[in-house]
Amino acid sequence: MLEIAGRLRPYLRRAYSVADVGTDAGEVEFLVKTIGPGTAALEDLAEGSRASLLGPLGNGFSLAGLPAGSRVAIVAGGIGAAPFPLLLRALDGAGFSADLFLGGRNAAELAFRERFETIVPGETYLATDDGSLGEKGFVTNLFARRAEAEPGRYARLYACGPMPMFAALARVVERVGIAAEFSTEAAMGCGFGACLGCVIPGTEKPFVISCLEGPILPPRLIDWRKVR
Amino acid sequence: MSDLLETRLGPLTLQNPILTASGTFGYGLEFTDFVDLAKLGGLCTKGLSLEPHAGNAPPRICETPAGMLNAIGLQNVGVKAFLGEKLPRLRDLGATVVANVWGDTEEDYVAVVGALEGAEGVAAIELNISCPNVEKGGMLFGNSPSATASLVARVRRATRRTLVVKLSPNAPDLVESARAARDAGADVLSLVNTFVGMAIDPVTARPRLSFGTGGLSGPAIKPLALRMVFQVARALPGVPLMGIGGISELSDVLEFLAAGAGAVQIGTANFRDPGVSGRLVDELEEHCRDRGVTVADLVGRAQRAPAGGEAGAEG
Repeated sequence: MLEIAGRLRPYLRRAYSVADVGTDAGEVEFLVKTIGPGTAALEDLAEGSRASLLGPLGNGFSLAGLPAGSRVAIVAGGIGAAPFPLLLRALDGAGFSADLFLGGRNAAELAFRERFETIVPGETYLATDDGSLGEKGFVTNLFARRAEAEPGRYARLYACGPMPMFAALARVVERVGIAAEFSTEAAMGCGFGACLGCVIPGTEKPFVISCLEGPILPPRLIDWRKVR
Repeated sequence: MSDLLETRLGPLTLQNPILTASGTFGYGLEFTDFVDLAKLGGLCTKGLSLEPHAGNAPPRICETPAGMLNAIGLQNVGVKAFLGEKLPRLRDLGATVVANVWGDTEEDYVAVVGALEGAEGVAAIELNISCPNVEKGGMLFGNSPSATASLVARVRRATRRTLVVKLSPNAPDLVESARAARDAGADVLSLVNTFVGMAIDPVTARPRLSFGTGGLSGPAIKPLALRMVFQVARALPGVPLMGIGGISELSDVLEFLAAGAGAVQIGTANFRDPGVSGRLVDELEEHCRDRGVTVADLVGRAQRAPAGGEAGAEG
């Protein structure tokens, strides 16, 4: 959770995934898309400005249980590319291979595309809504075709993007039988379980608290019929 | 802790006047990385009901200028789980616990208060009659002085503990509600809960919260809340008050004390800055020490000062 000290607008912190870590100690990278006053204020920060960071909070993607040398899939929609540079480095470092499915509205929205070229230990598939780069259409369809063409190719799916993308992916992984970890997003007031603002409709109980029990959640814990 | 900061609220004596507000501090245990709970004047728990309660569908929160709207809908673990899992740990940590309670009916309130009655480590009960985000109960008890009086009288008979009644700023006449609560046996009044507000997505024209409306909190409401505390303190002198509404820094605390609050509750600021309550205790102590005053000296100063002029210039 990041905060620009002293501001009344935005008043609350904003939650971000750690996108990457630098080679210098203490260097941490975030991917920020300007969509409202909170992100606009971060964008306006001059170099050398101070921000307050509360974290790390919640859980992270897990590599536990992956068979040695296996291959995973990563599906990223738009700003959902954020957590994957770091995950790809971790996967590569642990000897796993990974195919990346990167989608967005247009070519300009495919964040980290150049960086991914150098760090994806596997194939990369691109999709844009307007067809300006890669296949025209949803990245979820691209992933579904690849996964269905070769059942057993992926030991796990890691995904980050908007809720409709997750809902589509949940159907695919259920059909094909792939374990999945979704990095969910919900408006968070605090980030540590106090405000209960970031809940997601659940299957095992009425709501899952995204910041505390997630934000990485298996799709079976989410009641997709109730997700708005 | 010095006795510079000690404050008396009717039968309740607190080591300092800094508490944390219900709904913004979980069960306290979420904050142990950030605050020494034993250092606070007290913490008000998430509103407890007889049975666990799931709360409202998301989206539940939405940021607004200098504050936020929420419609959490009183999600909580229920009083049984609170007593079994939360309270023993709070006791071990030395926290002064104010158990906030709510129900759909008078019987529900009485039952929750009854369940808490034998528990060790509860300093006071705070009756939430002011939540704007549930269909039944909540604010319905706070918006009518006769409903307030009836509920408070019943709960008063059910508990020997210090009884705090948390008032709604949405009541048609807050002073009348305050008077009704006091006359029915409230020891302390806490004010105010959130103001009913709304935000609409300008593109889709849908309310941003699934509940439609929500409660507004944060610095945006501070002047409104401060006026209400001042007003109730003036109308009902001698009634112990806890001030709540957008308090985030020392000057806010001093303003509410001056308006007549014997203690304050820190709310939304806990989300942005989870260590703020503990820091305010330190800052208030430093303020009192530097100026050679006690908290008791600070309470109600604005009531004694002439209106406008110097009274307005302070803080």
